Amino acid sequence: MANRSGTAQRPNGQSQGKICQFKLVLLGESAVGKSSLVLRFVKGQFHEYQESTIGAAFLTQTICLDDTTVKFEIWDTAGQERYHSLAPMYYRGAQAAIVVYDITNQDTFGRAKTWVKELQRQASPNIVIALAGNKQDLANKRMVEYEEAQTYAEENGLLFMETSAKTAMNVNDIFLAIAKKLPKNEQNTGQGGSVQGRRLTEGNTEPKTGANCCK
Amino acid sequence: MAKSNYSKIDEYGFERPDDFDYKTYDEFMSHYMRTLTRRALRWNSVYKNRNFKKNNTMKRFIRKGIPANLRKTCWMAVSGAEQCRKNSALSYQQLRGKIENSQISETIKIDLPRTFPDNIFFLNEKQLPNMLYNVLATFAHQNSEVGYCQGLNYIAGLILLVTKDETATFWLLKTLVEHLLPKYYVVTMSGLLTDLDVVNDLVQKHEPTVHRHINNIGMPWAMGTTKWFICIFADVLPTETVLRIWDCLFYEGSKILFRVALALIKLHKLEILETTDLSELMTVFKNMKNHPRVIDCHGFMHYVFDLSGSLSSRKIDSLRLKHTK
Ligand SMILES: Nc1nc2c(ncn2[C@@H]2O[C@H](COP(=O)(O)OP(=O)(O)OP(=O)(O)O)[C@@H](O)[C@H]2O)c(=O)[nH]1
Ligand SMILES: [Mg+2]
Repeated sequence: MANRSGTAQRPNGQSQGKICQFKLVLLGESAVGKSSLVLRFVKGQFHEYQESTIGAAFLTQTICLDDTTVKFEIWDTAGQERYHSLAPMYYRGAQAAIVVYDITNQDTFGRAKTWVKELQRQASPNIVIALAGNKQDLANKRMVEYEEAQTYAEENGLLFMETSAKTAMNVNDIFLAIAKKLPKNEQNTGQGGSVQGRRLTEGNTEPKTGANCCK
Repeated sequence: MAKSNYSKIDEYGFERPDDFDYKTYDEFMSHYMRTLTRRALRWNSVYKNRNFKKNNTMKRFIRKGIPANLRKTCWMAVSGAEQCRKNSALSYQQLRGKIENSQISETIKIDLPRTFPDNIFFLNEKQLPNMLYNVLATFAHQNSEVGYCQGLNYIAGLILLVTKDETATFWLLKTLVEHLLPKYYVVTMSGLLTDLDVVNDLVQKHEPTVHRHINNIGMPWAMGTTKWFICIFADVLPTETVLRIWDCLFYEGSKILFRVALALIKLHKLEILETTDLSELMTVFKNMKNHPRVIDCHGFMHYVFDLSGSLSSRKIDSLRLKHTK
């Protein structure tokens, strides 16, 4: 089932392909544009005034990568500092994270670094972390230099892009880059709850081999 | 008022969802308008002098809904906000004079256009965002333990839409945060973490299959319910239903929130059990505002108070003690 619907979405019509599902969490200071990035990626929309997220929101989006269908389960969190105590339950078991800052606000870059540190210490050891310098369309008000963030990202083994949820710049690209970097030859089901594991194997009778891991 | 039943915007300026079921709503409203008229007459005869004293009659009346035009005065009286205003050494205007250009003020300013951005009153009346800023900033400056917590913008915003009165909104917000609700909004959010555990406990006890199912799917409790408590259902349930809940909250205190939470879970039991993944489950939670029995605020409140089981203040207190952080 899952396999069939997966292949149907692939542009090149190959009949053999695998489906991988990953849990991705968005972290970062309030108002840096986490929800806006998700809205752009999932629905192709942008709201000038996006409501602040209370608690957490959840969305999914599927992308195709060569012969693999990658389904992101996106957990969008609240940014205000005091909601921090709730964050661990959202990034627990996440295979990927996008840590977002606002290039027009130096403090949010500092906060992003704190998130990266926390993830490196507390999250799954193999988590793929991307750093997004958002609101690139406001580059004339820039307070965080591209090179500074890039150097930091390199030192810490993070993917890095400047993005704009408003113009859509690099939004798909950052998700795509994450999808590419995620290990697709290794078990990645079962971490986010039993049901997804079951759903992804249903209708697939092949044995779990290295090449078919994420079925 | 009768007109607005069929409009895309409700009387508090909120746009109805795209998939809003006008037919069901129409059926409900044709009843509810009669109820409202009847209740208004009763209130006018019993509370001719607007003397809202707390007693059993008042409690009964409030559970059946406060008429919209009396909400401000009645909320002020029964919540203790009026008393708080009278006892305060400083007036609201004096407190407001203490607002400084601090980090907190900046944070609040960022959230102003992000509060009910689709509400036509917030869009069209330039005054409302200003009033909201004044209320939130004044509150933050006189309560350093809380300061500004996201979520308060929705609560203050809705009180403003109901009262259209900045001063009353301030005292009602202060009373809610400092007296009626647990420590939801402090930096540690300790009261919130406790109440999330309490509601988890209650669902486990009253609806064990639902509880198990949600756990199996892997939804952290906080994900579905944080906003319920932080916004006390504002921006979660239909406006009229939220106001009916607030009527009781202002009189009876925060234990009502658990009844509402449990009622929502029970009403959606089958839908929840039918979900097979997190995405479907979260959709059920998001769509609770569209359930006909939730839109029927009058019937919903009946259901809330008819829930049997140990939801007394004493039980809630002991559960809160058990889960104290
Ligand atoms: N110019 C510009 N504005 C943006 C961009 N992304 C987001 N915004 C605006 O920034 C504000 C905050 O965006 P959100 O997506 O709500 O931010 P958030 O990080 O989800 O904030 P919280 O939910 O409070 O944690 C909104 O008013 C957006 O319209 C961007 O790329 N460019
Ligand atoms: Mg957000």
